[in-house]
Amino acid sequence: MDWLLVAELAINGIFIGLMYALVAAGIVLIYKTSGIANLAQGALAMTGGYAAWAFTALVGLPVWLAIPIALVVMFIFGSLLERFALRRMVGQPIIMVIMLTLGLEIMLRGVLPGFFGAAVKKLDIGISPSPLFLGDIFINKATLIGGCISLGLILLAILFFNSRLGVIMRAVSDDQTASWSVGIKVERAIAIAWGLAAVMATTAGVLWGATQGIDWSLSLLLIKALAIAILGGLDSLPGVLIAGVVVGLAESLATGILDPIVGGGTRDVVASVIIVLTLLIRPYGLFGREHIERV
Amino acid sequence: MFFRRAGIRHTRYQSERQIWPLPFDRRLAILLFLFALAAPFLLDRLHLVGYLLPWIIWSTAALGLNFLMGGAGQIHLGYGALIGIGAYTTVHMTRAGMPFEIALIGGGLLSAAVGIVFGATALRVKGIYLAMATLAMQYIVDFVIVQFPAISGGTQAALTVPRVRFLGIPVVGDLPSYYVALAVCVIVTLFMLNVKRSSFGRALAAVREKDYAAAVIGVNTFRFKLTAFWVSSFIAGVVGGVLAVCYYRTISPDQFHLELSIQLVAMVIVGGLGSVLGSFFGAALIMFAPIVINQLIGSLAVALGLAISADLRAHLPLMLYGALIIGFLLWEPLGLAKIYANIRNYFLVWPFRHARH
Amino acid sequence: MERRTFLTGTAAAALMSQMPIRIAAAQDKVIKFAMPQDFTKVYTFVTAEYNQGQRDYISLVNARGGINGYQIVADVSDHGNDQPRAIEAYERAKAGGAVLIDPLSTPVARALVPRALEDKINLITAFSGRSDAADGSVFPYVLPLSPNYWTQAALLIDHFKQKDGGSLQGKKICFVHIDTPFGKEPLPILEKLAEKEGYELVAFPYTPPGNDQSAIWPQVRRARPDWTMFWGAGVGQTVALTEAIRNGLPMDRVSSSVWLSESDMDVVGAAAATGVLKVEPCVSGREPKLIQDILKEVVGPGKGAGPENKVGTAYYNYGVMLAAIMVEGVRKAFEKAPDGPITGEWLNAGLTSISNFEAEGLIPPTTVTPEDHQGGGKARIAHWDGSKFAPDSDFFTANQDVVWEEIKKSSAVFKETGK
Repeated sequence: MDWLLVAELAINGIFIGLMYALVAAGIVLIYKTSGIANLAQGALAMTGGYAAWAFTALVGLPVWLAIPIALVVMFIFGSLLERFALRRMVGQPIIMVIMLTLGLEIMLRGVLPGFFGAAVKKLDIGISPSPLFLGDIFINKATLIGGCISLGLILLAILFFNSRLGVIMRAVSDDQTASWSVGIKVERAIAIAWGLAAVMATTAGVLWGATQGIDWSLSLLLIKALAIAILGGLDSLPGVLIAGVVVGLAESLATGILDPIVGGGTRDVVASVIIVLTLLIRPYGLFGREHIERV
Repeated sequence: MFFRRAGIRHTRYQSERQIWPLPFDRRLAILLFLFALAAPFLLDRLHLVGYLLPWIIWSTAALGLNFLMGGAGQIHLGYGALIGIGAYTTVHMTRAGMPFEIALIGGGLLSAAVGIVFGATALRVKGIYLAMATLAMQYIVDFVIVQFPAISGGTQAALTVPRVRFLGIPVVGDLPSYYVALAVCVIVTLFMLNVKRSSFGRALAAVREKDYAAAVIGVNTFRFKLTAFWVSSFIAGVVGGVLAVCYYRTISPDQFHLELSIQLVAMVIVGGLGSVLGSFFGAALIMFAPIVINQLIGSLAVALGLAISADLRAHLPLMLYGALIIGFLLWEPLGLAKIYANIRNYFLVWPFRHARH
Repeated sequence: MERRTFLTGTAAAALMSQMPIRIAAAQDKVIKFAMPQDFTKVYTFVTAEYNQGQRDYISLVNARGGINGYQIVADVSDHGNDQPRAIEAYERAKAGGAVLIDPLSTPVARALVPRALEDKINLITAFSGRSDAADGSVFPYVLPLSPNYWTQAALLIDHFKQKDGGSLQGKKICFVHIDTPFGKEPLPILEKLAEKEGYELVAFPYTPPGNDQSAIWPQVRRARPDWTMFWGAGVGQTVALTEAIRNGLPMDRVSSSVWLSESDMDVVGAAAATGVLKVEPCVSGREPKLIQDILKEVVGPGKGAGPENKVGTAYYNYGVMLAAIMVEGVRKAFEKAPDGPITGEWLNAGLTSISNFEAEGLIPPTTVTPEDHQGGGKARIAHWDGSKFAPDSDFFTANQDVVWEEIKKSSAVFKETGK
């Protein structure tokens, strides 16, 4: 057993897992406040990536200016999405809402490459490609920076839930009717939650886009993010952090160790196996709250 | 004026409980069935093979999924994988020399077995969690099919379907393929039309509405949920076999990915959850809309001289597909079947509009 | 009430408009090429430019009066790598009288092979499809007209051998590929050549689409290969190259298949990727005479099928190359049967009699015979010098004996069993 290889895979896996966890944090945020699992989160990440690219390449702004502007634009986009699309679906069966987000994802996947062109786009956020070595262990600079930024953002989100606005959101996620009755503007809280989720998705889109280029395949981040969200618990942000590390580790190690045995392709199936095992053993995830249904 | 409920009186319980109590409906159904039978002689080959045949096959698949989603109220995002299992099983069994009919049933049985294994998670979780479990099933089945060359057919990974005989007639060419698909579709449609009137259908309706309340009054939710998954997966398997033999003729793993599952769910929802007619409408819309839009945009571009880039033109069907799903969910959640029912009700009392209920 | 009537009215109107729309095409003197390709799904990285190249060349030919007075019509549509849509496009093309169909997609081409063989329509599988379709005696109507993946792998091994002083004995070659049939395709050839030349082959598959290869390349680095080949498409290529650079692998020992273009280099970083190798089936850039002609006669007057800055890129030139070979086939068909009815068989006779065709310096001398549908299997290796692809060698062919052995083996299986 090549321990150095395992260590290398583990370290890189943790950082990549954190980058996936950023997308998952958006899903958890939306689920916490409005009770909807947003299957368009990957597409939002892709939209954010395209937005950042558009501001750099088409409008010509420097990168450090384009990204904040893209974040603001996507915040507004997320809130508008909630206002016009999701609000009408209040009270409808859950399958309808899931399909709505799926339809949104398909439409975004058609609109963005259609208008901006389907070729892979370059987004340069200034990470140099030179390798970074810790002894003989290679650390991927892009994933290192990406993972650290994701970690920072998720910790920020956890802290945010202790602020005044965060407490409002926790109240809304607990019981919407009760929140209304004490005077909380529930609609605004939900809109802000969607906006913040879109901002997180945009950051993830920019980070991933810097590594792989911006194109429609950014929306495939959804599956990994869902696995992380379910493992950690759909309404727990600290759970996202831990689950992100676990899933990233599991995938990386599976690719390194299982692939030579099985012959390849274990990366994606690891996420699915994690989902199935979680749902069979602990359906609400490691840290999620149990959903009690009353007759 | 065109057809009415007034004046139609039933003297026996059986005639009141018919599927189509109005003679107009009965005659329409018989007319459509005769047209479907005579279609190969009325339509040219392009319309038959390019449009009618896939429409019939996908409608059957949508009916199977509609049974699970609309009848039993469970979400299934992995239906494409079940169809794939059925297709691969049927092809392998026919290649091994078994007769086509047995291979079809075999494909259905294996799909049903895998279906209830993952459907068992439905007994523990609901809603989004069930959707995730079925999504995970889709990926796991994909992985298994691709990784085992014994299943997917070697490095080239495209399995050709051998010549088969159905009830003694070789399924070669368009005519026999069409009739095989039509036969399967008719059987499944009849099943769907009647299941709601049986105790099985009523039990499923109870489970769909509130499963613990159903358990309280004595409906065994465990058994009925599993049976619903079994039946739905069996239909998926049979459709997979028909798809492989009558339409694709070579199958490869990437025909049964997540896109197919999402397409089928879209067909069911756009058509209308729980409605037989809706499955047909939904299948037609989701199938034909991209093609029609493509041709429309193409002819518009030529006629008006617009220079639409090839990229944009190619992505327009995707945009339209997503917009269709969103539009239907926002404005007509009950789907095309409801729109059809509205039209029908309008003509039921025409021209006495004020008599509309 | 209004909403309901509005909805039902719209629905009724939409239903009425579901009639398939036929564009009345001038049926007099046209030859139809059907090009349903994948613009939206998997081949997005190549299709737009490839198709642009094809259409620009056909516009050039038409602007010069067509062939023998006949105009060539390119019928472009999107099948999205989706079988039903591809089959529907094929049926529509057949009903419209197309004599040639170019799907540029391996799964679609495989699905259409039995239909094309039955209906006698020429199925062009450029750089894709079944590698064993080069055997024209078993696949009379399937024509790759380009070096298939087996040939590309064989050429690369030969190039490595030359670079390493004539012998690969004891060397290590890493093969990083996408875990799909396309990625696994060169493996039999590479293993055969490993026995013959004496090198060690280590394969690393990555899950499609390949946007996360961070666990693969550290392993490649640890294996300390002498040569590395990466075999992917689209996002997989850019990510592979980025990871290779990040892991500190020397670029001039890393090579790709034909699927590497200037826009990929752009994404990765033109300076960072200097030295990386690729297989080039035709001359790249804007110097070849045909590209100059297109710039002057088609793009200049504004009749180009796409953005001007894509003219002369790698995939654009591939499109021009294929279109040139197809049009040459038409010309030869007219030579053989000047008033022959325009059918698939007629074009097939022409395509299989192309001999030493160079497309005015764009491609190596290509000869297509009824037995060899590959066109000779010639290509050259090029490297990225920071701003363009510069050739490393002349057009050559190598190891064709090993390749043809595999082709014959696989096509024999198809012949017997139809599988």
